[in-house]
Amino acid sequence: MTATLERSGPEPRTGPPALDVRGVSKVFGTGRDAVVALDGVDLAVAPGEFVCLLGASGCGKSTLLNLVAGLDRPTSGTVETTAARPAVMFQEAALLPWLDAGRNVELPLRLAGIGRAQRRERAKELLALVRLEGQAEKRPHELSGGMRQRVALARALAAATGLGGEGKSREEAGVLLMDEPFGALDAITRDVLQAELLRVWEATGTTVLFVTHDVRESVRLAERVVLLSSRPGRVVREWATAGADDAEELHGDITGELREVISAHGR
Amino acid sequence: MAADSTATVDDAVDVGRGLDALDTPTEQRVPLWKRFLTGVVPPIVAVVLFVVVWQILWASAIWPEFKLPSPEAVFGTIGQDFAEGRALDIIWTSISRAILGFLLAVVVATPLGLLVATVPIVRSAIGPILTGLQSLPSVAWVPAAVLWFGLTDATIYFVVLMGAVPSIANGLVSGIDQVPPLLPRVGFAMGASRSQSARLIMLPAALPGFLGGLKQGWAFSWRSLMAAEIIATSPSLGFGLGAYLNEGQSLSDMPSVMAAILLILIVGIGVELLFFRPAEVRVLRARGLGTGP
Repeated sequence: MTATLERSGPEPRTGPPALDVRGVSKVFGTGRDAVVALDGVDLAVAPGEFVCLLGASGCGKSTLLNLVAGLDRPTSGTVETTAARPAVMFQEAALLPWLDAGRNVELPLRLAGIGRAQRRERAKELLALVRLEGQAEKRPHELSGGMRQRVALARALAAATGLGGEGKSREEAGVLLMDEPFGALDAITRDVLQAELLRVWEATGTTVLFVTHDVRESVRLAERVVLLSSRPGRVVREWATAGADDAEELHGDITGELREVISAHGR
Repeated sequence: MAADSTATVDDAVDVGRGLDALDTPTEQRVPLWKRFLTGVVPPIVAVVLFVVVWQILWASAIWPEFKLPSPEAVFGTIGQDFAEGRALDIIWTSISRAILGFLLAVVVATPLGLLVATVPIVRSAIGPILTGLQSLPSVAWVPAAVLWFGLTDATIYFVVLMGAVPSIANGLVSGIDQVPPLLPRVGFAMGASRSQSARLIMLPAALPGFLGGLKQGWAFSWRSLMAAEIIATSPSLGFGLGAYLNEGQSLSDMPSVMAAILLILIVGIGVELLFFRPAEVRVLRARGLGTGP
């Protein structure tokens, strides 16, 4: 019973994609110093889908995530999303150190102008979802790295789904963008958090775009792995993990292709 | 994959809870008597030692009495001033001015600091001047202020402002500079508007640096006030600690001079211990930052 095999398989997904990236290019700088970070990237993510963006460092995967998050603008191309505002989670938890865990989770709701009682209730729900019940009054420095990252996950979910509520369609379940969120954690904690993330994803039906350079992580988590090349970043190939009967073989496949992409730069 | 294919969901939950329990930082609370022993006793011992050395030096009569009075004479002067009710008047005159001057400085320095921290052109224009002003002793402003404003309260407040504003503004600037850039980014990603970001993220994040600036600003207000009071004396200016010190000098009354110095010191330390230290400890402790003993 692994979290990956346990998954009930992707339901047929219809309707417009939750995330639609079309012909997106991003150039930093101008003239001779210009660096093409992304070049004509197309990527559509269905509502409720879990997609991993895989690539070596410098492949512009974080750049792409920032574009989708609206933290930066593409040089050309369009980014469309059904979510009003995709939520972002970074490698660092980036909790506000003067607020306790509960108030950190409440913050996006507070920014959206939701009343105190309602947002407190929702924060409690979300903290329970990431198994931090009763920790709402702890300050970030009183929590371990893994717990902090779970608070950040709860906060991102608050940002993505607002007050949530029953009977919401997949389109309303929000979009979660994750930029190597477990990169700074130790191996055991990372393993536990990956399982937690899958559980939360199944429970909420949120659309996830997850950036990583770890092939094993991408195979374990995603339904679809998208490999980006480096400088300029282009979509090289993608794999569906559900169709693969042998995870090890898929892992070998993807690693081989990734090594090929990287060594192309050494020649 | 093999490891988690055998693990049941319950196991995973247990591992998660175990990690939480193991990795949670433990905070050791120092017992009250120990904090008393390490925090309160040493300074008291130091003061007592200082008075003892003073007493010995006085008793050995190396210097004449008018240069080094006995501790008894100095404390006697302070006691007498208090008994006559004069001391409280003098102290209040100075403290009320210092507080008013300090508050004025906060009102001027806060928007100034915000402007310097957030508008690049303002920073490059007046940032260096602001830093330079910090190293200019505010006594230097007294003659100019006397010529501009005469012997009025305006002179005193002007000198206090020139002393305190640069410290407070610079404290706010460095507080804002030290905010990790990820925090405003996270705020923006969560949909914070500019004013929300300033109010709910940048200002609280800059609070420790701002508080440091306020603390230094208070010290500079107090110093500048004393400088102004010592130099600019006039019946129209009231009788504060600086004037008291100046009077002691002109009467060659060494016990009064030393009493005045002691009172100036005690007020300065007292305000720091009563207001700034507790505020700082609260702010830093809430963020899990070191607070010292």
